Amino acid sequence: MAEKEEVFTVKTGARHPDLEQIEELSGQRIIDCYQCGCCTSGCPIGDWMDIPPSKAIRLLQLGQVDEVLASEGIWLCASCLVCGTRCPRNVDYARVAEACRVIILRRKKSMVDPDTVTDADLQDVPQQAFIAAFRKFSV
Amino acid sequence: MKSYPYYPGCTLYSKAKNLDRSARLVASRLGIELKEMPSWNCCGAIYNTAVDDLAAQVGPLRNLAKASKEGEKLVTLCAACYNVLKRAHNRLLTATESERNRLLDFLDEPFGGAIEVVHFLEVLKKEIGWEGLKSLVKKPLTGIKVASYYGCLMVRPRDVLNFDSPENPRVMDDMVSAIGAEPVDFQFKTECCGGYLVVNRRTIAVQASRRVLDNARNSGAEIIVTTCPLCQYNLDIAEAQSGRTGPTGVVTLYFTQLLGISLGLEENELGFEDNKLDPVPFLREKGLL
Ligand code: SF4
Ligand code: SF4
Repeated sequence: MAEKEEVFTVKTGARHPDLEQIEELSGQRIIDCYQCGCCTSGCPIGDWMDIPPSKAIRLLQLGQVDEVLASEGIWLCASCLVCGTRCPRNVDYARVAEACRVIILRRKKSMVDPDTVTDADLQDVPQQAFIAAFRKFSV
Repeated sequence: MKSYPYYPGCTLYSKAKNLDRSARLVASRLGIELKEMPSWNCCGAIYNTAVDDLAAQVGPLRNLAKASKEGEKLVTLCAACYNVLKRAHNRLLTATESERNRLLDFLDEPFGGAIEVVHFLEVLKKEIGWEGLKSLVKKPLTGIKVASYYGCLMVRPRDVLNFDSPENPRVMDDMVSAIGAEPVDFQFKTECCGGYLVVNRRTIAVQASRRVLDNARNSGAEIIVTTCPLCQYNLDIAEAQSGRTGPTGVVTLYFTQLLGISLGLEENELGFEDNKLDPVPFLREKGLL
């Protein structure tokens, strides 16, 4: 009998350590996503994201966690919750993106520095915008 | 006069005084007193979703604990306050026992969760009713086409807020009909204005708002109404950058300002000077002022 040809190797064992944390902090099961793309097509900011919602989830499924954590997309999410509302698989990408940001913020890396806000903006922009932006983007 | 504890929130004390003032005056015309709750603090302006982030829930829950001594319902006007307070409340009610104990440790008083967070629009609908509102209108806004813009914070997440449909809400449209105006159906009524991205990614927020504006305008809207100070601001800066002026553009008002006009409030009571873009010339031209 001929030897079985090895077509591919399934790697088991260690998952990316940050992936556990992303799932824990977000309360979402990354594997549930079946890549329909509903989240990305409805995302109002998707056009500006380097890695939009469904692609980020696919990368996480494939273990390419570092790419997602280094992307700009997770910092462009406006928390509008369209993605999770429309997801047929009950995956709330807004929570996944927030978990990614929280991991980075907890390593003490701020994305927005409150000191850089100009006086002109302070006089003009509604308070709720500052508080929300600092909450989502700074330590 | 029926009285409710009312949570104004930070923005209504500064950039959106006009929303606060017009709402209080409208309410009193309708026989409702919005009684500001004592010693409130900022709600946090956005809900933090990380499962272990209990600290972010303490601020909003402190407000709810205090409000629960004032009444059964806490009325909000700002869409963000409504969203955050209601979700923090839900977080407490669905917490595990150890989470709940940790949360309650940070409050100054015992709190069992007995309060309901409502939006003023819900009070209008349930207490006054659309027929009731119609009967109080002094100046029907006949022929004025109004797009009700709900944005994100009033309708999502649906299962927690239970306010209205997350895709096609009707509450504000019904209000618009009740005051004699013509509600405009448009696809972007729950699309995001770009929200807080205006702080650090202004161009993106402006472009996102521009889509909402254009969609409303192309659907025939002359006026957009909103419940959110940030939507109001973002839509106005997007309109300012569109190069349109006067009647070819579209003005964005708080729903309470439009209600105020129809209930016969005076121009100087509605705080139009605090709107980012001055809507007065447009409203005069339409014979609304
Ligand atoms: S909508 Fe849900 S299932 Fe579809 S791609 Fe997005 S996360 Fe995956
Ligand atoms: S919550 Fe964020 S990722 Fe999801 S649709 Fe809105 S902006 Fe896009």
